[in-house]
Amino acid sequence: MSRIGVFICHCGENIARTVDCGAVAEALREHPGVVVAEDYKYMCSDPGQQLIKKAIADNDLTGVVVCACSPHMHEKTFRRAAAQAGLNPFVVEMANIREHCSWIHDDRGEATAKAIDTARTIVEKVKHNKPLQTIRIPVTKRALVIGGGIAGIQAALDIADGGHEVVLVEKEASIGGHMSQLSETFPTLDCSQCILTPRMVEAYQHPRIKLYTWSEVEKVDGYIGNFSVTIRRKARSVDEDLCNGCGDCQAACPSRRIDSEFDAGLSRRPAIYTPFPQAVPNMPVLDREHCTLFKGRRKGLAKDACGKCKETCLKGAIDYDGQDTFVTEEIGAIVVATGFQLYDIGREQPAGLKGYGEYGYGEVPDVIDGLQFERLASASGPTGGEMLRPSDGAEPKTVVFVKCVGSRDPEKGMSYCSKICCMYTAKHTMLYKHKVHDGRAVVFYMDIRAAGKGYDEFSRRAIEEDGAEYIRGRVSRIFRDGDKVKVWGYDTLSHRQVVVDADMVVLATAVRPQPGIGELAQKLSVSYDQDGFLNEAHPKLRPVETNTAGVYLAGACQAPRDIPESVAMAGATAAKVLGLFSADELERDPSVALVDERTCIGCFNCEHVCPYGAIEHRDVCDMEGHVCGHVAYVNPGVCQGCGTCVAVCPSKSVELAGFTDDQVYAEINALAGW
Amino acid sequence: MSELQDTARRLLDEGLVQVVIGWEEGPRGARPVFVTSAADCERLIFDARCVHNLATFLNPRRSQITALGKAAVVVKGCDAKAVAGLLREAQLERAGIVLIGVRCGGVAGEPATLAPPALSAETVSARCWGCDVREPESVDMLVGEAQPEPPVTADLDERVAALDALSPAERFAFWTKELSRCTQCYACRQACPLCCCERCIVEKTEPQWIETSPHPRGNFAWHLTRAQHLAGRCVGCGECERACPVGIPLGLINRKLQQVVYELYGYTVSEDPAVPAPIGAYATDDTQDFIE
Amino acid sequence: MSVVNQPQRSGERAPDDSGRATAEFEPRITAFVCNWCTYTGADLAGTSRLHMASNVRIIRLPCTGRIDHVFIVKAFERGADGVIVSGCHPADCHYTAGNYHARRRFGVFRELLSFLGVDPERLTFSWVSASEGGKWADVVNETIERVRRLGPFDSYHGLAGAATPADDPFARFEMPAGATGGTAAAPADGHDAASQAPSGTGDAS
Repeated sequence: MSRIGVFICHCGENIARTVDCGAVAEALREHPGVVVAEDYKYMCSDPGQQLIKKAIADNDLTGVVVCACSPHMHEKTFRRAAAQAGLNPFVVEMANIREHCSWIHDDRGEATAKAIDTARTIVEKVKHNKPLQTIRIPVTKRALVIGGGIAGIQAALDIADGGHEVVLVEKEASIGGHMSQLSETFPTLDCSQCILTPRMVEAYQHPRIKLYTWSEVEKVDGYIGNFSVTIRRKARSVDEDLCNGCGDCQAACPSRRIDSEFDAGLSRRPAIYTPFPQAVPNMPVLDREHCTLFKGRRKGLAKDACGKCKETCLKGAIDYDGQDTFVTEEIGAIVVATGFQLYDIGREQPAGLKGYGEYGYGEVPDVIDGLQFERLASASGPTGGEMLRPSDGAEPKTVVFVKCVGSRDPEKGMSYCSKICCMYTAKHTMLYKHKVHDGRAVVFYMDIRAAGKGYDEFSRRAIEEDGAEYIRGRVSRIFRDGDKVKVWGYDTLSHRQVVVDADMVVLATAVRPQPGIGELAQKLSVSYDQDGFLNEAHPKLRPVETNTAGVYLAGACQAPRDIPESVAMAGATAAKVLGLFSADELERDPSVALVDERTCIGCFNCEHVCPYGAIEHRDVCDMEGHVCGHVAYVNPGVCQGCGTCVAVCPSKSVELAGFTDDQVYAEINALAGW
Repeated sequence: MSELQDTARRLLDEGLVQVVIGWEEGPRGARPVFVTSAADCERLIFDARCVHNLATFLNPRRSQITALGKAAVVVKGCDAKAVAGLLREAQLERAGIVLIGVRCGGVAGEPATLAPPALSAETVSARCWGCDVREPESVDMLVGEAQPEPPVTADLDERVAALDALSPAERFAFWTKELSRCTQCYACRQACPLCCCERCIVEKTEPQWIETSPHPRGNFAWHLTRAQHLAGRCVGCGECERACPVGIPLGLINRKLQQVVYELYGYTVSEDPAVPAPIGAYATDDTQDFIE
Repeated sequence: MSVVNQPQRSGERAPDDSGRATAEFEPRITAFVCNWCTYTGADLAGTSRLHMASNVRIIRLPCTGRIDHVFIVKAFERGADGVIVSGCHPADCHYTAGNYHARRRFGVFRELLSFLGVDPERLTFSWVSASEGGKWADVVNETIERVRRLGPFDSYHGLAGAATPADDPFARFEMPAGATGGTAAAPADGHDAASQAPSGTGDAS
């Protein structure tokens, strides 16, 4: 039998001015199940709370209703007070008679009547409240960072410096990401390698960072604080413990005509290679696709067709027979920092995207993309930093830069702004003009978006000091014309056609998420938008969190991001992870869903609607132990308590603690007599 | 006919299934039959009297049927859609059943006859109006001869439109009268291939959302809930209405909701279990004209 | 004024509802709102002292995704003349998608209710964000006025007490005159009666 105490607050005059608090107490005293009803000037004050605590003790209350302000204001206060008096805090509820009553009504009779109704409704609810216990989940204080670009490196370093172990997984042979390919960076024009390489080395040598390069996340099980992550270590064919990075194998390799990924196809590399001289770890990887020996093996040759690298290696580190291996790491939190790729307009397009055949990329050698220009401008690049065009190695005297290639073009499948191109194109014109003083840099643009500290100044400098010619308009066609590259464009400010006989064209192609992001997102139960960028939990208030508790986002996997933003996001994710790791147990609100396994038929409607991936499949066994069916199970560590699963369950086999069907039914019923 | 029987015989003979669920000649027209031996396959028939939605018998909680072993089930279009519904909701595994599709040109509105009636606008079941499945596609094998479109019959959409044209008060009066006959016997639920819960919401007593005393208020709650739970899932097989002992025109409600999910979300019930049901999915640009 | 002077609002109401359908009819509105947007928006209406009519009783739920259609049915059964369902705007859901799922469910359920004769004017669905105290006041006042014009929903409240119609229990679907008349598909001789009545002898007139 319920023994409910009802406590009506005057809130000074805030409530009492329009609500007859005495009459409310009087009416509630008569309500079935209510054993005590008191009104008081300030219920949230210390004496007010004492009054409640004393009433709990004196009357052995099973539930408390405080008629006062909004629960958003003082629910915690009164629940804490009740807990101090030995009552489970979750049998305390508030009836809002201030914001929803006294403050919005004039008529004292009407307001008093409404206050009584509201109090009765909540009393009826509280009769069905169950004592709940805060959910505690153990936390494995170990983070996984996926992606070893600048965002991943920064997140790993921040978490490791915070005192926790980090597993850093990079799918390429070296960490560094796209930033390692850049020549100089905006808006300061400092050398990218100079600021990045020390971070790479620091991450590699950090005692609390475990680095897996040439590896990918294979499988993710578990939930916040308790992930179990399987990592595929792709066969490197080079023993990481034995290799000393001498480079003899690379010199010995006879296959030397393979496009270098690091140089964006502008130079060649051998089949066994270190991606770039500053690679971390400085250790080669054998590209089995292009290796003569492996080509022979795939053809079924009885005898290995090559073996030069193995013969050369004094350490005996080359292993042709190694297979992919798998390691499983226990992880508490995951930072996704998989970065971006550039829209490859010259190749076959994935579904939903259209290429730009009219721009000649991939056909005209002197039409290149932004990353290729970075390599041409880089001192470590294929030209040693000299500005020479790919086709004949001549110095280009006129270079056309085209912005928004793919970006902001729903016709091509990408309606968003790639954000970094305005800045890097301005930078490119400067780098070019600094190297070719008498050259001409022509930029076709839609808008100049240079929001950021020092950004507008930077792009103004490109125009005003370095003399880049900015033409507002689009380019319709780019094609080869003798040893020139003809660019047909339109100047929308002066309304005239523009034809430029260029020596080289640089396309600022759109930023897209990494290939395979969809599969990774599914492994992590993280949603992604129509363009494939991962979704944050809230665009304003939770920008680095995802809807999967314990999974965070840093850098360009979430949207196009420049370096400072990526680093800032990485720091933010590290703060979230360190916050999570600050206690041994994670405390969760017990207002979570619970499935009645006796009546669940395993239709998994709940699974389809759960935004958090909290629904798991559980086997049901018959009396002989054979699996005879499946039911849904809500992981209380993952559930956030929205209750969407409850409403879609046809047989009402899910309940949401704190808002059970019983409670809502009682509330609706309580209004019957109003 | 012999093609169907031969197919069933082969499945049983080869041990691919242990039971074939189909129809046989009964004392009052066709009736469902569970054939467990090859010798009995000659009992199997299919004609316009075979109205029953045999997917109903695939409910995994019908343990007396699952106990017979792996089943092959004879399906016409509406049955195949119902099977897809059960697959979509993880009630079945596709590999666990064999589907024998029959080409169907419509079924009879009054099937309790000793011989199959010739189908005409007068005799065809209202459920067949607008049915576009002559040959179920999701089946393992297909038998029977090619069938014509069902005769054009009383247009269910027109009857729905006629109700829509009334004022809410008139519709309320209409349904009050119709639903006042309901005794909450739940024959509609039992006949429905997709009402397959272990414990129906109407049987949940804490709290008792739906009043089970058969007065119009409880009946409204029951039929609103039944229809809402079937919105976007109902295959329009019409068995609920046929099963109703007091003749409540449930087909009108089901048809109305089929129209609604199509108009609002472009959804038509599909034979492909991979197509998600409309309720339980969403699009960010779903219509919200009704929301202030 | 004391509460006892307001028996028609706070006390037990007369079982026959007599007197409710008068000019002073005050509708009873039950509102199901989400905790994060609309409830907080209603709080803001309070802190902004936006005065509104007192006919609405709020039931707080975590999310519109939690709001089941049976809540609405039960509210009507228990005497509500109108129902408000309100939550976060699209893309603002605290739980990201509960409002989208609710939008689909109630898009369908509203049509279903309407088809069974519950005037959709008795239902308000709204998005009210935590910053829209003014909009909440408008939603409340407009709903009350709309339902006031419709009058008390005694037809639904009285369903349990309604006598079973005296007609033939097997009387069949009655098409309103002219609704389908003249089409070949629906002969005027009561085709549907013939095809559906269990006895096969239903009389549509």
